[in-house]
Amino acid sequence: MPVQTVAEHTSSSAPGDAAGPIVSVRGLTKIYRQGDINVTALDNVTLDIQVGEFLVLMGPSGSGKSTLLHLIAGIDRPTSGELRVQGIDISRLSESQLADWRNQNVGFVFQSFNLVPVLTAFENVELPLLLTRLGRKERRRLVTTALDLVGLGDRQHHLPKQMSGGQEQRVAIARALVTDPSLVVADEPTGNLDSHSAQEALGILQSLSRDHGKTVIMVTHDPKAAAFGSRQVHLEKGELTA
Amino acid sequence: MTLPGFVIRNAFRNKRRALLSTLSVAASLFLLVTLQTFQREFTLPPSDIGASLRIAVRNKVSLGVPLPVRQRPIVEGIPGIAGVTPFTYFGGRFRDEAYTPFAQFAVDPVAFTNVFVDARTPPDQLAAWMQDRRSCIVGKVTLERYGLKIGDKLKLIGTFYPVDLDLNIAGYYSGTPDDRSVFFHHKHLDEMLGGGKTVGTWWVRAASAEAAPGIISALNAAFANTSAEVRAETESAFQMGFVSMWGNIKLLIGSISSVVVFTLLLVAVSTMSMAIRERFRELAILKAIGYRRRELFSFILAESFGLAMVGALVGAGGAYLAFSFIDLPKLTGGMLRQFEVTDRILAMAFTIAAVLGVVAAIPPALAVARTSVVDGLKTLD
Repeated sequence: MPVQTVAEHTSSSAPGDAAGPIVSVRGLTKIYRQGDINVTALDNVTLDIQVGEFLVLMGPSGSGKSTLLHLIAGIDRPTSGELRVQGIDISRLSESQLADWRNQNVGFVFQSFNLVPVLTAFENVELPLLLTRLGRKERRRLVTTALDLVGLGDRQHHLPKQMSGGQEQRVAIARALVTDPSLVVADEPTGNLDSHSAQEALGILQSLSRDHGKTVIMVTHDPKAAAFGSRQVHLEKGELTA
Repeated sequence: MTLPGFVIRNAFRNKRRALLSTLSVAASLFLLVTLQTFQREFTLPPSDIGASLRIAVRNKVSLGVPLPVRQRPIVEGIPGIAGVTPFTYFGGRFRDEAYTPFAQFAVDPVAFTNVFVDARTPPDQLAAWMQDRRSCIVGKVTLERYGLKIGDKLKLIGTFYPVDLDLNIAGYYSGTPDDRSVFFHHKHLDEMLGGGKTVGTWWVRAASAEAAPGIISALNAAFANTSAEVRAETESAFQMGFVSMWGNIKLLIGSISSVVVFTLLLVAVSTMSMAIRERFRELAILKAIGYRRRELFSFILAESFGLAMVGALVGAGGAYLAFSFIDLPKLTGGMLRQFEVTDRILAMAFTIAAVLGVVAAIPPALAVARTSVVDGLKTLD
């Protein structure tokens, strides 16, 4: 199983593999300041996410679903409340510690694939591994495994501009997987894809959760995409509604 | 892929901009090196062996005011002096040239060889010059430039003096830092002017370098409170006085160089800021996947520094090669004597490029550091 092979060679095995939720959110609030006005993006949200879950965050624009995703992924900081991921209160980590934590524990998939245009598919996937102490051979094996997993083993040396949108998103998913993170976060991953490519991308995310025990959190407002998840959570005006 | 490889790919992702940035640094540093080399050329004191021993004696009022011939025995009588020659600038025009690129001086040939010991003339030619009062010796550069031969006539049209000279070329000299001038008998000039009571300057050779300061003091004191007070100074100081007549060359070239560097800095900062702004979203992604601020700063710094150093290599290195292989003294008829790009000038150019590379990286690096991942992701491609 490819992901297990990846796991053998990264030192980031999760403390959260132990019993209990991998993500524990308690009374989480996020307030943005826009000029003289305070905008409450998240208001006292409490939520647990279990290991291996494929959680879908849904809601209209401005409901706070992306904000919640960003907070859980450690790329934004809450105004108040408690946020534990794998038992670690990530809001207390320094910038540098948080960067290391993200590198080892979180895989990102975005709506705009965000690949580096001057790098090949292989090199884009390799980017997170350059921060590790792995040798070139090990990196090559892990990257090849990740690309094989998303079905792009034969496109390693293609530049992003030489690939379709669906293929680019699959490269982005491979990049998210290559460090064997316990958490994969996806922000509208099918927003820029045609329906066929969207199905493929969602299928891979579903497989990660179902077959490989990864915890996947996805933001979408597309009900068809949401159907791939194992649980749906709805937000509205910064509050959980269901 | 390696991190340096990643930096290089990024630096050349927009090849046109990378090329233009590098060329702007290269062109500016080429100009800077050229200016600094010019400055050195024009402010370089004479470096021949005799220069440290030679003393120029001119009228204290002005270089243009002559000195009386009667001063010579007094000058010769000062202890420590090994030789004295009159040295009068003729300032003639050669052929129909609007500007004559070589100077002509009336001297005492016997004393001249004793004062200007670096000037080497074949013995037979030297003897011929001394015997023929209407003859001259010509600097090798001038001789070659005009295709003159021994025995040719050298006609000079007077501009300072109301007489023209028709000199026989008795020989040539070489071995001085500036082998362009023409030297002829002062007695011939005296005859042409129908007088012989004044000279332009006296040039003196001290017997030793240690004696020179004392001789200068003695010369100044000897003619104090006379109708022709003198100002004696070393050859270096005398040459510097000439340079200062052109204005403050150092200040002028320094000002131009500063403007070049400052403009270059603005261009470099602007270019790097633009290059990084286009990549804000990508840099936000790198932050998201675990790259820290210091690593992103290193990328930006390496890219900026690398481009600046490539520019320095092309610009300063190009200037070094160009001025080393092009025979500028020949091309300029000896006006530029050495035009040497020294190690110090090269080091200065590379240091400026290095500082430029670092400084240009700071504003975009700060902008990246201040931008959160979330804000970075919101920026447009």
